[in-house]
Amino acid sequence: MARPTGASKPTPDTAARRRRRKRLRATALVLATQVAILIAFLAFWDHMTSRNSAAAFMFGSPSAIGGFLLQMARDGSLWRDLYVTGSETLLGFFVGNLVGTVIGLSLWYSRFVSRVVEPFVIAIGSIPIIALAPIIIIWFGTGLISKVAMSTLSVVIVALVTSYKGALGVDPDQINLMRTLGASKFQIFRKLVVPASLTDIFAGLKLTVGFALIGAIVGEFMSSSEGLGHAIFKAGSLYVIPKVFAALVATIALALILTFIVGKIERLLMPWRRL
Amino acid sequence: MTEVGSGHKAGAANAVAGGAVVPPLVVEHVSKGYEVNGEIVPVIGDLSLTLREGEIISIVGPSGCGKTTLLNTLCGLLSPDSGRIRWHGREVTGQPQNVGYMLQKDLLLPWRTALGNAMLGLEIRGVAAAEAEDRSRAMLDQLGLHGFADHYPSTLSGGMRQRVALARTLVHEPDVLLLDEPFAALDFQSKLLIENDTASLVRQGRRSLLLITHDIEEAVSLADRVIVLSKRPTRIKAVYDIALGAERTDMIGLRQSPEFSHYVRRIWADLDVVLQ
Repeated sequence: MARPTGASKPTPDTAARRRRRKRLRATALVLATQVAILIAFLAFWDHMTSRNSAAAFMFGSPSAIGGFLLQMARDGSLWRDLYVTGSETLLGFFVGNLVGTVIGLSLWYSRFVSRVVEPFVIAIGSIPIIALAPIIIIWFGTGLISKVAMSTLSVVIVALVTSYKGALGVDPDQINLMRTLGASKFQIFRKLVVPASLTDIFAGLKLTVGFALIGAIVGEFMSSSEGLGHAIFKAGSLYVIPKVFAALVATIALALILTFIVGKIERLLMPWRRL
Repeated sequence: MTEVGSGHKAGAANAVAGGAVVPPLVVEHVSKGYEVNGEIVPVIGDLSLTLREGEIISIVGPSGCGKTTLLNTLCGLLSPDSGRIRWHGREVTGQPQNVGYMLQKDLLLPWRTALGNAMLGLEIRGVAAAEAEDRSRAMLDQLGLHGFADHYPSTLSGGMRQRVALARTLVHEPDVLLLDEPFAALDFQSKLLIENDTASLVRQGRRSLLLITHDIEEAVSLADRVIVLSKRPTRIKAVYDIALGAERTDMIGLRQSPEFSHYVRRIWADLDVVLQ
C-alpha cells in the first residue's frame, strides 16, 4: 500500500510483452475460427454421405478421401506425383518469371520499344493457354518439357506486365534526383528502377505460383503418365471420385507450400518491408 | 517597388568588382514555357540573377509562379526556351557538376539504410566504397544522426529523414545547393533546427545556396538576399538585401527583432496576396 503507483506502472518491457501477447491471441483466434469452419464443413460432408451410398459415390467423403491419401502415401505414388508436378511447376515458374521480368523491366529502357511491343503483349496475353496445349504436346512431346512449357507460358505474360508496371511506377522526382546526382541511365535502372519494382515483382510471383501449377496440371491432363494432373484425370475417368479429391488435396497442399516459400524469399530479399 | 531590377545591378557589379572571381551561377534572360493543348503557356518570363560565392539567396513568389520550373531549369532537368545559364562561367549541357539538389519530398530509397542513402551520390560518382562510407558517416554525424546510420528510412521521423536527404545532398561537397522548399513538410521545431544546421554548413564551406520557399520568415532568416518573383510569366519583382548579419545563431531571437518583421512585412506586401 506504500507505493501503489510504482507497483502498477508497467515497465516498457512488460508493455511490449503484453502487446505481443495480444497480437498472438488475435492470430490464434483467426486460426481457431478457420479450423472450426473446416471441421464443421468436413463433418457436414461426412454426415451427409455416410448413410447415402449414391451421395458417397457422387461426392466422395472426407474419410474415403483420407483413406485414399493414406494409401497413396504408402504406395509412394503421392510422393512421386507431388515430385513430378512440383518440379514441372517450379521450372515453369522460374523460367516464366525470369524471362517475363527481364523483358518487363528492360521495357523501361526504351519508350519506343515498349510502345512497339505493347499490342503484341496484349494479344499474346489474351490467348487462353489451354488452347495451346495440343500444339505444345506436338512440339515438345509428352514428357517433362511440354509441361514446363505450359507452365512457363501461363506465367510469362503476367510476370512481364507486373514488372513493367512496377518499373513505370517509379516516382519521376526520384529519377530526377538520380539525374542530378549524375547517374547514367544504367545506374538509374540498377540502383532505382529494379529495387523499386521488387514490390510489384513479388506481387506477380505470388500470383504466378498458382498459374504455374495450373499450367503444369493442364499439360498433364492432355498427355502424361505421372503427376497430380494425371492422377486426377485417371481417377476421374474411372469414376473414383474420392481419389480425385485426394489428388486435389495434394495439389492444394503443393500450392500452399510454394506460396509460403515465395513469401519467405520476399521477406528475405526485402528486409526494409518488415519494419 | 524601387528595388525592381537591383538584382541585375548587384550581379553585374559583383562580376566587375570581383575581377577573377566568377560567380558560381549566372542566369541571363531565361524564359521557359510549357505546351498545353498545342499552345505555349509561358511560365518563366525573363529572369536574370547572379548567385555569388558563399551567398544565400531565398526566392519567394506567389503559389504556382513557376519556382519549381525555375529550379528544374537551373539544374538541367529542363532546358530553357531562351537565355543562358552559366555555372562557374560556362554553359553546361545536361546536369551541372557539383550542384546539390533537394526537394520537399526526402526521396530516400526505402531499401537503403540512412547510410546507404547518404552514400548514393558518391556511389554514383564511383567513389571507393570505404571512402564513401567514411565520408557519409561523418556527414550523418555532423547532422546529428549519430547512431542512426543503419536505420531504414521507415523507422526515422520526418525531420530525421530530411536530415538524411540533406546529408546525401552535402556529402559530395557541392559548391551550390538548390533547395526547393526542403523544410516545408516539417514541424516548426525540426524546421528551425535543420534550417540552422543547413545555413551554418553552407557558410562554413563557403558554399552558395539558392533556396526556394513559400515561407517568408524562413526566406528572411536564412538569406543574404531575398528575391521576390511575380505571378506568371515569372519575372523578378523585387530584391531585398537582408542586413541581419551573417552569424545568425539565435533563430528565435532573430525572428522577434524589428528589422526582421520589417523585411517580412515588405515582402508580404510585394507578394500581393489577395484574399478572395
